[in-house]
Amino acid sequence: MTGYVLKRILQAIPVLLGVAFITLVLFDVAGGDPCLIKLGKNPSEIEVQMCHDELGLDLSLPEQYVRFLGQIVTFDFGESWSHDTPVREIFARGIGPTLSLSVPAFLIGSFIAVILALLVSFYRASLLDRVVTAGAIAGISVSSLIYILVGQWLLADQWKLFPVWGYEYGFGAVTFVALPILIWVALSVGTDVRYFRTVALEEIGQDYVRTARAKGISENAVLFKHVLKNCSVPIITRMTIIVPFLITGSFLMEIFFGIPGLGSTLYTAVTNSDLPVVKALTMLGATLYVIFNIIADVLYATLDPRIRLQ
Amino acid sequence: MTQSHAPIKPRSPAREAWRRFKRDRVAVVCLALFSFYALTAGSAQVVELFQEGTKLYDMTLAEQGIDVAETATAPSSVHWQAWWGTTSAGKSVLLRVFHGTKVAFVVGLCGAGLSVLIGMTLGLLAGFFGRKVDLAVQYLYQTVASIPYLLLLLALAFVVRQGPVAAAYNEFSVGGLYLSEYLSLGLFNIIVVIGLTSWVTLCRLVRAETMKVRELDYVQAARSLGMGELRIMFRHVLPNVFHLVIINFSLRFVTAIKSEVILTFLGVGVDKEPSWGQMIADAKNELMRGIWWPLLASGVALFGLTLAVNYVGDALRDALDPRLKD
Repeated sequence: MTGYVLKRILQAIPVLLGVAFITLVLFDVAGGDPCLIKLGKNPSEIEVQMCHDELGLDLSLPEQYVRFLGQIVTFDFGESWSHDTPVREIFARGIGPTLSLSVPAFLIGSFIAVILALLVSFYRASLLDRVVTAGAIAGISVSSLIYILVGQWLLADQWKLFPVWGYEYGFGAVTFVALPILIWVALSVGTDVRYFRTVALEEIGQDYVRTARAKGISENAVLFKHVLKNCSVPIITRMTIIVPFLITGSFLMEIFFGIPGLGSTLYTAVTNSDLPVVKALTMLGATLYVIFNIIADVLYATLDPRIRLQ
Repeated sequence: MTQSHAPIKPRSPAREAWRRFKRDRVAVVCLALFSFYALTAGSAQVVELFQEGTKLYDMTLAEQGIDVAETATAPSSVHWQAWWGTTSAGKSVLLRVFHGTKVAFVVGLCGAGLSVLIGMTLGLLAGFFGRKVDLAVQYLYQTVASIPYLLLLLALAFVVRQGPVAAAYNEFSVGGLYLSEYLSLGLFNIIVVIGLTSWVTLCRLVRAETMKVRELDYVQAARSLGMGELRIMFRHVLPNVFHLVIINFSLRFVTAIKSEVILTFLGVGVDKEPSWGQMIADAKNELMRGIWWPLLASGVALFGLTLAVNYVGDALRDALDPRLKD
């Protein structure tokens, strides 16, 4: 096991180096001169030259790359161009609001999806199954923007059930994140039900289910003790892979509801070409993705003794 | 009585798949719906080609001398252009949704096409040649997959609009015909961005399936007959993994159209012509003023197409790959 984890970590290093390279090329080379973006309209030649020196743009590409790697390792991306605050501080401020929205939304959504999926796969081909699967495919066919637009307009603007926009740190956050959470759940349940239903159907067809029924175990116990336990492996691994996306947050939700999290930070940073912030967030997202993929694989093997890691 | 037996023709795999597909009646209805959309998109393209000067969808109804208010009017039967109402700028919702269908198809077909082409080629190469090629392709897709999808989409969208890529787009021409005259920068941008970001899933699937197929007897037989590697790869392996490409194409088609909506909303998408994404984005302000019809029309148009393709995609998967059927 330790050997496997070490091997995976070693394999992850070139991948992250590649991500760093793509990020650097994407923003500093392909995107035009970042100094023109940083300095705004009509900078003097001297200003541009100073900026070039500061950012190391006149260095050769390999030299710039090494410099960028240094920034990543020390997690020191300098200051944000639009706020004059260190990138690190921007992160620390954004992570709370993001998690207060994404974690409850994810937990509630997954819970509903798993229960629904178990039920419909148990009553396979019944009316309930057909209604839920049809509802799920209809649900995933609606654009996420429409969920947000209509949800915000109807529930907050028209019926005044929730505040339309804003955020408050601490316990006051509950009123502000309630509606986005509701919309997020509605948005994700369709996809999740479809996935979990396939997983559950596979298990329900197995021999051990027939054996359990033959022993005279109640249907409830079959469903929740036997089937759920065996489904838990793919369910848990899937949830693990999603964790990085919970940390980086949903920028659509955050922009629409004015939640000052990492998602909206990223969006403003990209639109303002605030490159230090964008680069830092890209590296953060990629690193988390790689780490949680390794965790998922290890969990898979720990939970299911049939799987051997090599 | 003698009975003459007609020789039993073996069914081709495509015919067999169609037979299985047909059994799902909802899927056939969805396919018909999709064809209707395709026809609409085609006619929108034809109408556009034959229209000179300012396009009708860009003119307000008042400008054309139709007796309606200058700003948004609710759906009415005053004139066919006003059947679905007018936007807050006073333009025909019906015409804009009609033209948006063409934009959706261009984005869907080209975006999914580019993505599938990249994924298929890389997957085939990796699975067929193995060793170093495989390692290189695996490395490439692991790296691309590690960058958060929406971030990559957004970042690329900003980069493609400016800098060298946009310059290449402006100068690209085939025989005196400039690409920029047929495809606006916004559309081109979306297609490139979607194509470059969404090929990983298919690449993985094709790679795995190719690795299985290349060990089969008929591939060995082809090799022993002295066929070239590339010929074996395209003529014998590709047809046997192609069902994955078709299924994935339908998935990517939907993703592409949905991404158009999000990118356009974020201001990096379609700009010079009306698209569903633009109408949905405009609805943010319109809704608060009680103007709901542009959102309803574009939203329903988008929903119908997405639903049809989603359902057809599911049915295609069941028909083409019976092992996957639950």
